[in-house]
Amino acid sequence: MTGFRASTAVVGVGATDYYKRGTSPLSSAQLVLQAILRACDDAGADPRAIDGFVSYAGDSSEGLAIGAALGVHEVRWSTQVWGGGGGAVAAAVNCAAAAVHSGQARCVAVYRGLSEATDGRGAFNKGHMGHLYGAHGMLTPAQVCAMRTQRMLEVDGVPPSTLEAVALAGYHHAQNNPRAVAYGQPLDHDRYQGARLISEPLRLFDCSRENDGATAVLVVSSERVGDYKGAPAYILSGVQGANSGWTESVENENPYTSAGFHPALVKRLWDGAGITAADVDVAQVYENFTGPAVASMIDYGLCPPGPAAGEVLTVDNLTVERGRLPINTAGGNIAEGFVHGIGLVAEAVRQIRGGSPNPVAGADISLLIGGPMAPLVSSTVFGSAATI
Amino acid sequence: MTDTVPADLASTAEAHGKAVAAGDNKAVLADFLPDRIGQLIGSADVPAPLKGAQVRTITEAEPGQYDAIIRYTELDDHWFELRSRWVRFTDGSWRVAGVRNIPDTPPWMSLTGPSDDGLDAAHWEGLRAGTLLLQRCRRCATWVWSPRPICPACHSFDLTFEAVDPVGTIYSWTRTWQPFSEEATGHLPYVVVVVELPAAGARRVLGVLAHADGLTPRIGAAVRGVIEQPPDARYWPLVRWHLDPDSDVEAR
Repeated sequence: MTGFRASTAVVGVGATDYYKRGTSPLSSAQLVLQAILRACDDAGADPRAIDGFVSYAGDSSEGLAIGAALGVHEVRWSTQVWGGGGGAVAAAVNCAAAAVHSGQARCVAVYRGLSEATDGRGAFNKGHMGHLYGAHGMLTPAQVCAMRTQRMLEVDGVPPSTLEAVALAGYHHAQNNPRAVAYGQPLDHDRYQGARLISEPLRLFDCSRENDGATAVLVVSSERVGDYKGAPAYILSGVQGANSGWTESVENENPYTSAGFHPALVKRLWDGAGITAADVDVAQVYENFTGPAVASMIDYGLCPPGPAAGEVLTVDNLTVERGRLPINTAGGNIAEGFVHGIGLVAEAVRQIRGGSPNPVAGADISLLIGGPMAPLVSSTVFGSAATI
Repeated sequence: MTDTVPADLASTAEAHGKAVAAGDNKAVLADFLPDRIGQLIGSADVPAPLKGAQVRTITEAEPGQYDAIIRYTELDDHWFELRSRWVRFTDGSWRVAGVRNIPDTPPWMSLTGPSDDGLDAAHWEGLRAGTLLLQRCRRCATWVWSPRPICPACHSFDLTFEAVDPVGTIYSWTRTWQPFSEEATGHLPYVVVVVELPAAGARRVLGVLAHADGLTPRIGAAVRGVIEQPPDARYWPLVRWHLDPDSDVEAR
C-alpha cells in the first residue's frame, strides 16, 4: 500500500440519457457538458472550480474546450489516455486521481461523450486495426475478440455458458434501470441462443452496441470530501498497462486468451488497495463482448480458469441478491448502454456512493475493470469510508 | 429433394425464389426472420434484374432446419446460386435465418496494401512477387511480427524481410456473419484464421480460410497458404489458407 490509497475520491456522478446512436439532439461536447454539470449538481460543486479534465479513446471534446465552455477559472490538468475503445476507461480515473494526489489539480472531471453525428460511425475503432487486419476481412474489434474467445473456449475449455451468464446478468440488472437501453426487454436463454451470430462464437447479445451519450465523474482530494454532498467513493488503487509485447500486434499478443490483465498488474491493483480478489463485493466488468469480460474475470482470479469457470460464472452468481459476485449492476455496456465503458465508472461509484438501480447491500469494495483484450487495459478499486 | 421436406416449405421456397427474381422486396423481406433482416440483406450479393428462379434442392441441415439452394438466372442467361437456411418462426411460417452465395469466395477489402507508417511495405511487395515475407532482425535473427521500427529483442535498427514457407497450424479462428462492410456482401459468412508459423519463430499471421463453407475449423489443424491474385488493381495479393486434406475438421 502507498500514500495513493484513498488519497482521492469521487464526489460527483453525472450522466446524460443513452440515445440510440445517431439520435442525440446534443453534440458530443454538449453531452459531455451536460454530464459534467449533472456531476456538479450531484456533488454540490461549482462547475467553474473544476480545474482538470481527463478523457480517453480519442474523445472529440478536448479538455480546454470543455473548460472554456464551462467558464472555469483556470485549467491545471488536461490529459487524454492513449488507446482505443475502453481499455483506458479506468486509466482515466486513475490519471485524475494521480493529478489530484500529486497536487497538480484540485477537482478533475473524468468524462467520455459520444454522438455519432459528431464523431462518426465506429468511434471505438478509429485509427486502429490497420491493413494487416482489414485486408483479410477483419474489420472490427468484435472479430478480434471473437477469435480470442474461440481459443479460450476451444483450448482452455472455458464453457460457453459463461458468456451467456455475463449477458443475462447485465440484462437482468437492466430491468431495474429505467435509463437502460434494455429496460423492459428481458433476455432469457432461448432469446440469447436464438439470436443471430455476429462473429463466432459471439452472438448478438454478446456484443455491445455504441450509443450516443456521456457520463462524467468528479475526482477530488480525500481531505476535501467534506466540501461536497453525499458519500465519497474513495479511490483505493488503480492500474493501467500492457503485458510485454502488447500493442496492436495483429494477434501476436501472449498469453493469447488473456484479457491483458497480466499477473504483475493484477498484483499491483490488489496490493495497492490492500485487498484480495475475495474482498470484492461488486464488480463492473467491461463487456465490449462477453468473452473478453470472462477472460478478465479469470485474469483477476474472480473465477478459476478453464472448465471450472463455468461453476462460478452463472447467472445466479453474477446477479445482485442471489450471487457472490454481482457484476454490471446497472446493466453494463451491453444492456445499460455503451459509451466506451464510462457508464461502468458511474455504476462502480454509485455502489459505494448510493444511487445504483441494484445496490449491493453493505458493499465496501467496488471493482471497475476496463476494456479487456484492448492493447491497453486498466482497473480501479473504489472503497467506502469503512475501508480507510 | 428428399421426401422428408415439409410440403409447405417447398411451396414457400418456390414462392421466395420467384419473389427474389421479380424484385418484390416486400415479399422477400417478409420471408426473413425479423430480428436479422439487415444482416440477411447485407449477406447475399443478388444482381438485378433477374428473369428466373429455380429451387434446386431442399435438404434437412439440422433437425427442423432446412437448406434450400435456389438458382437465379440473369437476363443474359448467366446464373448464380444462393443457399438459404429455413426455420419455423413463432407464427408457424417458414423464415430465412441465413443466406449465402455459393460456392463460397473470399472477400477483397479496400483496406489493403502498405500501411501509412510503411513498416509493412516490404510484406505487401513480397506478396506481389509471389512470396510471404515477414520481418526479421539481421543481427539476432529474431522474427518480428507485426512489424516494428527496431528489433524488440536486441534493439538493432537493421531489420529485413525474409521469405517464410506458408505452412502452419490454426491458432484460432472466427466465422464472421455480420456484414461489417459492403465489400463483404456476397462472401458472408467467411472464416478468418490466425495461423502460427513454425518457420517464423511461431509468429502468427491472419488470413481467410478458403473453402470453409460447411466446415468447422479446429485449432491445431494444419494449413498451407496460397497467394491469391486480386480481381483487379485496386487490391493487393493475399495469402489464403487451405486446410491440409488430412486435417482434423468436422462437417457442420
